Amino acid sequence: MLSLEGVTYRYAGTSRPSLRDISLTFGDGEVVGIAGRSEAGKTTLCLVLSGLAPRTVGGSLSGRLLVDGSDAAPLAIHELAGRIGIAFASPATQLSGVAATVYEEVAFGPMNLGLPRDEIIQRTDEALTALRIEPLAARDPARLSGGQQQLVAIAGLLAQRPAHLVLDEPTAQLDPQGTRLVGEALTRLANGGASIILVEQKTDLLAAVCSRVVVLDAGAVARDGAAGDVLGDERLSSLGIAAPASVRLRKALAQAGAGAAQLAVLDEPLR
Amino acid sequence: MDARATRLGIGVVIGAALGLALLATGQQWVLALAAAVVAADVVYAVLARMQTGDWAPMRFAAGLVAFAVVTYVGIIGFGDFGTQADVDPNTFVNAKAANTWALILTIAMVVGAVVYFGLELLQTGRLDSLAGQFGTRTLLLMVVGIAVNIILGQTVASALKIPIYLDSIGTILVGVLCGPIAGALTGGLCNILWSYVIPPPFQYQPAAAFAITAVAIGVIAGLAGRAGFLRPRPNRSTAELLAGGAITVALIGVMAAFAIIGYQKIFQTDVSLLPNTEGVDWYFVLLAWLALLLVVGAVVGLFALLLIRRDLTAAYVVVIGVFTGVVAALISAPIAAGVFGGVTASGTDFLVAAFRQAGLDVQAATTGQGLISDPIDKVTTFFTVYLILQAMANRFKARFPQGERVVMADEGAAA
Amino acid sequence: MAGPSPIHRLNPLTKLLLAAVSTILAVVLGGLVAPAVIVALAVIVPALIAGILPRLLRTALLLSLPIAISVLLVNLLFYPAGREILFQVGPIRATAEGLGFALETLARIGAISGAITLFYLTTPPAELVLDLERRGVPARLAFVAIASVQTVPAMVERAAAITAAQRARGLDTEGSAWKRIRGIVPLAGPVLLGSIAEIEERTMSLEARGFTRPGRRTLLWSPPDSGTQRAVRWLLVAALPAVVLARATGWLPA
Repeated sequence: MLSLEGVTYRYAGTSRPSLRDISLTFGDGEVVGIAGRSEAGKTTLCLVLSGLAPRTVGGSLSGRLLVDGSDAAPLAIHELAGRIGIAFASPATQLSGVAATVYEEVAFGPMNLGLPRDEIIQRTDEALTALRIEPLAARDPARLSGGQQQLVAIAGLLAQRPAHLVLDEPTAQLDPQGTRLVGEALTRLANGGASIILVEQKTDLLAAVCSRVVVLDAGAVARDGAAGDVLGDERLSSLGIAAPASVRLRKALAQAGAGAAQLAVLDEPLR
Repeated sequence: MDARATRLGIGVVIGAALGLALLATGQQWVLALAAAVVAADVVYAVLARMQTGDWAPMRFAAGLVAFAVVTYVGIIGFGDFGTQADVDPNTFVNAKAANTWALILTIAMVVGAVVYFGLELLQTGRLDSLAGQFGTRTLLLMVVGIAVNIILGQTVASALKIPIYLDSIGTILVGVLCGPIAGALTGGLCNILWSYVIPPPFQYQPAAAFAITAVAIGVIAGLAGRAGFLRPRPNRSTAELLAGGAITVALIGVMAAFAIIGYQKIFQTDVSLLPNTEGVDWYFVLLAWLALLLVVGAVVGLFALLLIRRDLTAAYVVVIGVFTGVVAALISAPIAAGVFGGVTASGTDFLVAAFRQAGLDVQAATTGQGLISDPIDKVTTFFTVYLILQAMANRFKARFPQGERVVMADEGAAA
Repeated sequence: MAGPSPIHRLNPLTKLLLAAVSTILAVVLGGLVAPAVIVALAVIVPALIAGILPRLLRTALLLSLPIAISVLLVNLLFYPAGREILFQVGPIRATAEGLGFALETLARIGAISGAITLFYLTTPPAELVLDLERRGVPARLAFVAIASVQTVPAMVERAAAITAAQRARGLDTEGSAWKRIRGIVPLAGPVLLGSIAEIEERTMSLEARGFTRPGRRTLLWSPPDSGTQRAVRWLLVAALPAVVLARATGWLPA
């Protein structure tokens, strides 16, 4: 379980806080989406949740980050690496730069953590399987497509067996095919019971994967509820967010005079 | 003038006085220069301790004294350098000199480092100066620095036949932002990788022999950065700019004079910086004048910066560039002479040939070439690093160990 | 680069020591005979065993060609102590002493180049660094070494991509030397500053993957070693002072 209690965070050299008195709890096995306009504090939230803020990026944090109920403040960043994994938007900069193959790249985290060799091999194999990238194991990570690199990055995080995965706009720099790859992988992980916190501008992706959505506005929580409710809300656009396609379609059809039975067709899965 | 500059000034004055006194009593100029530098640093450290209670400069001075003592003992006790006449008649190479220099300087550096870190460990129980310099950011900047050194240095060496190297931009950038040890490590590791590990077409096999030069450059850059040499100083008053310009000219003139005097004393040849036109063919005279023009051009360019942007740091860049260049030249010359006969397949070879034509032996020729090429190269490099630093955002620079020292005094990222 | 021969399978440290000792001996001993012996024993024989002799000769020659030409020209033509003139073209005099000096320097360079090329052709760079890390070199230093080797080609590719983009926008990069120099400047900015700007993100990812954990990290694999090789390495190290001493006492003539 991951929770923030009254967290206010300010980057170094700025006067305005980027997160203002945030209190949120993320339970195990929850798949939560974070939405909001740019500069609303989504990335900052990810950095605080992973412990990178303030440890690696500086700044000042007041309030508490609790990991499984205990205060994370005395923990160093490498101690949090095994609890929380974080992925970013740019695929290439997440690669370690020292791995000749995808296998070594995925094993990078566990190697750093000093785990025994057999365990590293087992975890790496599991991570590759979970993301269905076993065929890529011998390839050079630098030569993969953006989408494939993101899968490798997420596999690398899984190998650390974190309790929570924080993903900051993982499809932002990907083409549609890459986005689909990552989206499918996230769906599989979610169905498998992983705890995921997913920041995305693509509300379609949030609608497909997340059961709960939190909306941030100007550093504070504006909405927090079931995905269907939050994303179906009329006032979403005032928070700078485009509603998912399914919501807009439903609205358009309803306005065109479709009845309840016809609208029910939208809920059926695509074959 | 702030207190630190005052301490530095007093140290320099006393050191210079000692150095001149030694020269007057007939000592070799190298000895006088070394004594002057060590004395200046000791005075500065003592004043710093008295005024601010900080022990760190004294520890550094102790390390420097240890380095100087070991070097002196090495030279006097084992000084098997041979002289000009004592060169192997078969190979005309003073391999003894090259190897002995490298060995003495390496041992002296190690001893100096052990003294410095040993004192720090004893006094504080920690090694903050070392540990603080190797955060993840520093390591990643070192990677970029090494790559830039190799790519640019190889391009210049093989594609552009001009008498400069441009292979220390990365070293100096890391030194200024992250400190002397990080800079030293960047330089040393870069040269070793460049020779043994980097694949062609970027491999440059002679590089490893000059690793010690790269280390020295990194250390100097780190210390210069720590002293705030590359802190921007824009929009200064005309009086300050004139003073800065005058000091620059004077310092360069003094160093040039030292170089010429020392040159004449050590090698017992009557060579001035102006090319010897007796019995030398016209194209070499032309090339030599071209080299001189490059020197003048670089200095003039920086003075332009001084006048147009009214940025006093241009003067600092020239000073530290010339100083670093001279040191690098002096360390590299015996290595180039002893190991490669003065030739390294870069654009500097024609300068060496010119000096050889004028009648100098290998050792003197490489020293002469170095004293022309290196200061230009280092001034250009420091200037480039200054530009790079200007292009980086302040709050990004501040996260590096010495980042605060390259930001303007009244700015600076608040924590 | 990793191949089937016994030389390839040797521990990287052994190969490195062989290259280093060969280099130092070539420099210290000088002359023409010593470098030739070194080349025969320490370069040609292992290259034959490894089956890479043609490739090694080609690569070593390619690498040392620029410096060889320079050495030859500078010393043959501009040797001030030369007396015996071989030929004269206008004011330039080629001397026998100059040729002698040039040949000896070339022999030395040849030995050094051959030794280094042999090492490089039989050892993937990462292997050497991993082996050193197993022996106690700090993981951070090993990281910088490996990452630097990988960054050089990556940066060049990035520069090539930017050049292509700029050419598509009409920037002229071919042509005279001056144009080429002008072409480099707008290139250096994006490549260099872009690489520096990436440092912030890379730092976050690395630290979030446990990079800053103190102590050793687990290595999945490192090159194997053997007692025989250890003995050979000690022999190589001992050979250095032995040879120097033999030369100094006149046992080994020049």
